[in-house]
Amino acid sequence: MPDISTKIQNFSMKTPVMLASGILDESSGSIKRSLREGAGAAVTKSIGIEERKGYDTPVISIISTGLLNAVGLSNPGIDNFEEEFRPFTEKERVIVSIFGKDVQEFLFLSKRVESMGFRVVELNLSCPHVKGVGSEIGQDPETVEEIVNELRRKTNLQIWAKLTPNVTDITKIAKAAENADAFVLINTLKAIGIDIYSRKFLLSNKVGGYSGPGIKPVAQRAVYDVYTETGKDIIGVGGINTWEDAVEFFLLGAKAIQVGTGLYYEDYAIFNKINTGIDAYLEKENFSNLGEIVGLSVR
Amino acid sequence: MIHSAVKEIRKEKGGIFTIEFDADMKASPGQFLMIWVPGLREIPMSLSRTEKPFSITFRVFGDSTRALSELRRGDYLFFRGPYGNSYPVPSGRIAYVAGGTGMASLKSMIDRYPGDVYVGAKNRDELFFVESGYYIATDDGSSGYRGTVVDLFFSEGKEYDYIFVCGPEQMMKSLYDRLPKNTSAKVFMSLERLMKCGIGICDSCSINGFRVCKDGTVFDLGQISTMTEFGISRRGASGKLEFLTNPKR
Repeated sequence: MPDISTKIQNFSMKTPVMLASGILDESSGSIKRSLREGAGAAVTKSIGIEERKGYDTPVISIISTGLLNAVGLSNPGIDNFEEEFRPFTEKERVIVSIFGKDVQEFLFLSKRVESMGFRVVELNLSCPHVKGVGSEIGQDPETVEEIVNELRRKTNLQIWAKLTPNVTDITKIAKAAENADAFVLINTLKAIGIDIYSRKFLLSNKVGGYSGPGIKPVAQRAVYDVYTETGKDIIGVGGINTWEDAVEFFLLGAKAIQVGTGLYYEDYAIFNKINTGIDAYLEKENFSNLGEIVGLSVR
Repeated sequence: MIHSAVKEIRKEKGGIFTIEFDADMKASPGQFLMIWVPGLREIPMSLSRTEKPFSITFRVFGDSTRALSELRRGDYLFFRGPYGNSYPVPSGRIAYVAGGTGMASLKSMIDRYPGDVYVGAKNRDELFFVESGYYIATDDGSSGYRGTVVDLFFSEGKEYDYIFVCGPEQMMKSLYDRLPKNTSAKVFMSLERLMKCGIGICDSCSINGFRVCKDGTVFDLGQISTMTEFGISRRGASGKLEFLTNPKR
């Protein structure tokens, strides 16, 4: 049987499919369930310094090619997060996503995450619908560089930078974040939706993020561009519903992938469906391990 | 987003309204819709009738439900769904235990599979869908038994093969706690939590890894017995775990 395990720097996963940040990862019970149902690792919902309720409903809207969402970075804040996750027993399989408005906030949160015993942070430099955080700072190369370098200097965490596709050239941001251990590509596309019978916006915040099958080619282009430009470890995310989608990301340079909106389409079964699909594909195509196909179409 | 013309809207009691509408969909008792009030909120609501004409029944508790209560025949009702699982088909002796607006969720079951119906409310003005022969409990004694519907249910001491329960979580917890451990009855409870997405992805309504909107809303005793958060804590809008303090009914 081919080996489908993968490694992002020294972070090992038995399977290359992770739960993406923002989906079913607010509660420790749900994170455990993803890990139990075949995810190699799971990323938490983005945690900030203060508790945030997020936006009023509707926060999600279903469109023909995916989902629109503007949840609004709802999160319990780092204190309550610590309270709930301190006793969590599988910290080595969980990546904590954090967001902040400046380098000090990112550093503060990182130190807290590190002191709890986690090994990896994913920097949310890409949420497209909250003012002053996420993509608003993730679109500025200088701020991104400052945050990544400061965390690199002052923590021993592995740093993953989740970048926004809502920029002219994502490789510029990636280069600014080159001291990160890996890139997570991509977050949602900034988007809007309207209903023609009520003539009102579909989301209470009007503007939200677009995810799902429709954004897969955009995510794949970002993976391709950043892989060819930097050669660094990449975790691909965006529109992955099937093992075929996952294999495409590997061929373009991703070493692991994340699924989020895919859980809406395939539910928790998505993890093992993709795992067994990749396994069968490698076997049929005479590869002995996943690493052999990473970047194969690009090299 | 589905839109459908309101066929009829009627006031059941005080602040409780039923809206009837037609739609090309299949629904089963226990399922819910995400009702959208354009420009205002989106709210999960049980279907009180799961075949044409479909209906929702709700209590006015804020701007969005007030706007819904002011819809007129022919106005559009906006929604997505139906979502969630449904109550199983019962046989033998059947009981329904409803607290507050939990009656809306059980109504389509009661219509299909008649049984003993126990209804609890704060007072007589909040009782709705009540028919003769129902067992009634009110907190203030203004109608029927004075006390909780759970007290009434156990004081009657009748045995059932199927028991369906929907109401405030503390009421359901109280019923759960008082059921004999070796009960032979098949018991199903429809749970309610803060729901944002309705489609099983946002984690707001999760209880110990069970999603109320997707794995439920109907759970059996075996599942409920593994929920350490049931009747104890729930997630607030931020995702923070909060402890329940609601009074029992």
